[in-house]
Amino acid sequence: MGVRVATGRSILAAVVGLGVAFSAQAGKYPDIGPLPQLKINKAKAELGKRLFFDKRLSGDAAISCSTCHDPMKGYAHPDALSPGYPGNGHFRNAQTVINAAHKKVWNHDGRIGTNLNDMTREMLTEDYIMNMDMRIMQERVKQDPKYVKMFKDAGYGEPSNGSVRKAIPEYLKTLTSRNSPFDKGKMSASAKKGMAVFKGKGGCIQCHNGPLLSDQKPHNTGVQENFDVFLDPNNHQAFIAFTMFQGIPDYMGLKRDPGYYNVTLVDEDMGKFITPSLRELKYTAPYMHNGMIKTLADVVEFYNQGGGKDSRKSKLLKPLGLSAAEKKDLVAFLNALSGDQLTSDMHVWKGKYPAEYPVIADWKNVKN
Amino acid sequence: MKKVTKLRSTVLAAAITTTFTLGVVGQATAGPAPLAPLDSIKVPIPPDNKLTPAKVELGKLLFFDARIGGDASTGCSTCHEPDQGWAWAEDFSRGYPGTVHWRNSQTVINSAFYPRQFWAGSASSNEKQAKSAAKGGVAGNGESDIMEARLALIPEYVKRFKEVYGTEWPLISDVWGAISAFERTLNTVGKYEAPLDKYLKGDKSALSKQQLAGKAVFEGKGGCIQCHNGALITDSDFHNIGVPPNKRWEEDGLAQITFRFEQYAKGMTQEGYRKAKSDWGFYYRSKNKWDRGKFRTPSLRYVKYTAPYMHNGIFYTLEDVVDFYNRGGKDEDGRTTPFPENMDKRIKPLGLSDQEKEDLVAFIESMSGPEITMKKPAMPPYAPLFTKAQLQAAQEAK
Repeated sequence: MGVRVATGRSILAAVVGLGVAFSAQAGKYPDIGPLPQLKINKAKAELGKRLFFDKRLSGDAAISCSTCHDPMKGYAHPDALSPGYPGNGHFRNAQTVINAAHKKVWNHDGRIGTNLNDMTREMLTEDYIMNMDMRIMQERVKQDPKYVKMFKDAGYGEPSNGSVRKAIPEYLKTLTSRNSPFDKGKMSASAKKGMAVFKGKGGCIQCHNGPLLSDQKPHNTGVQENFDVFLDPNNHQAFIAFTMFQGIPDYMGLKRDPGYYNVTLVDEDMGKFITPSLRELKYTAPYMHNGMIKTLADVVEFYNQGGGKDSRKSKLLKPLGLSAAEKKDLVAFLNALSGDQLTSDMHVWKGKYPAEYPVIADWKNVKN
Repeated sequence: MKKVTKLRSTVLAAAITTTFTLGVVGQATAGPAPLAPLDSIKVPIPPDNKLTPAKVELGKLLFFDARIGGDASTGCSTCHEPDQGWAWAEDFSRGYPGTVHWRNSQTVINSAFYPRQFWAGSASSNEKQAKSAAKGGVAGNGESDIMEARLALIPEYVKRFKEVYGTEWPLISDVWGAISAFERTLNTVGKYEAPLDKYLKGDKSALSKQQLAGKAVFEGKGGCIQCHNGALITDSDFHNIGVPPNKRWEEDGLAQITFRFEQYAKGMTQEGYRKAKSDWGFYYRSKNKWDRGKFRTPSLRYVKYTAPYMHNGIFYTLEDVVDFYNRGGKDEDGRTTPFPENMDKRIKPLGLSDQEKEDLVAFIESMSGPEITMKKPAMPPYAPLFTKAQLQAAQEAK
């Protein structure tokens, strides 16, 4: 990964510096376009859907996945910093889980690079996220006859931790962007012009490329730290717990989010974050890993000024000199990357959960 | 990340099986240690956790601090409530939000005298008990890293830990030490002395006539002293006395969840997990079938305030407990342990008269002195670790 980034970076730096026709360079990057169709097992996805919205999957049964990944907010959260588990806060913005199944790396710092099964485990068990002892989770699920049937129907047999971690990713596959003007080829004239800026003068495509509009690689764009991470002890305690557990040196003295440094412990990776997808931005404000930028116009202006301030900032970022019209067009294009809201019962579990765990009758005589 | 700690002590198990020889039922033998005043023994203080006033004071704060737990709503005192005998006045301890526990919460009072903590003796010290309870999924459900992180953001704690332990930041391992130091001061000595202690120290007027009659039953026909003996009024050993399973497992979905979780968490075999319908007690530690249904004898001190009784809290009064023993280890419906083969041979119908039973209860009540009450201390608040100016400077230096 490191080598490829470095190569791309040097070519790009030259390109941007010389002001060569940018459209010609666009071909150097995986083209933007529709996402591939994913094969979905309906019964498993349906089960995953019920699990995703079930508060009983957190330690104190107070929050579900959907608490921080709210369908009405593009499966993200409108606060700059995710709420986190009761009793603490969080130190990063909740990302949308739409298109998560298309990614190869997860979390703003890229610390999960295997699969959504591991990602699901991470979200459920981390103390500052859902704080779930998965052994208790398994027994809770087994206590709900509807789950018992759904697991069986999905071919998982008896409910288990392992199959929870399979069913949720199966459901996440159904959360794929649909019907964006960009995908349908029905963009406004302004959005079309914005796409040209995106691929050309704006240089956005250097990192935001491929069907996800993300290279899924870490970059330092110099986003201002969100001081609320440190000024609110609820957030800071989650940050300390996280950096302590991850083995970040001097975690008590840290006054910035280490980002990808967490993965490599190499200084030059300090402050790098994985390029986010640009799909569904219309619903997922605020932006950046720490929610520091409130609107897309502000994001565009941030890049127009060559990003933020950081001695390790990516060399790809330079002041762009975009005109007001170009900026407006770019925002129009970004908005054209958002599709239908996934809020119908096709994607959202709208059934009720039992208020109490049903009793297993004849308990003394049935097998546990 | 969730972790499981398993404790296995085959050595201990072996020692325990050889502890008891043939006791004569219904008679005080030379075997059991005589009842003695509590202040005739000293609270064991581990050499690596000396008791200091500052440490005790710190431990008191921590004991009442709900931030020592998963969602900052459950601390030690949540299930060891001073107004409920430093225990919890329901059959099962209340448990972490969203759960219920599966055993009765034991009083903290005099707990420091026990050589092993918990009903099955799974912790060898107060320090280990505190850690285990704070982290257990149906108790505190706290993780070390976030609990330690919280303390670092509470200036009062940072100051106190530095004074007591000399560390730059509070360490979670020292939390257990400080809480234990506090617990070691919660004893029924001095002004909390029980009438029985006064009696044993020579004040013959401390016990009523009826209590003295009960003492005779306790040490004689009742045979209670065979296990409830010495200054702590317990042999601190493990016995199956015939307590039947709590019916709540047949009637309460939440309790059924915890029941299976415990089988899972305690390292049961697949077969054991499938078939267990009761708490196997000391078996979880020894894995010997003859230890199924054995639990550590509790002290009878302070029991006046700690109802309900037994490891699963099925008896709400001392009268019920006495009736249970009088029937030879059966409840009023005739229910007993699912492991009668492991039942202590000394548990036999006692043939006590109503008068004898009343006397016995009166005597057991003489083992409790004044209630130990405590005003909950005000919790020290969080404060940000850095100023805005410091953060601004760090931002500029990036």
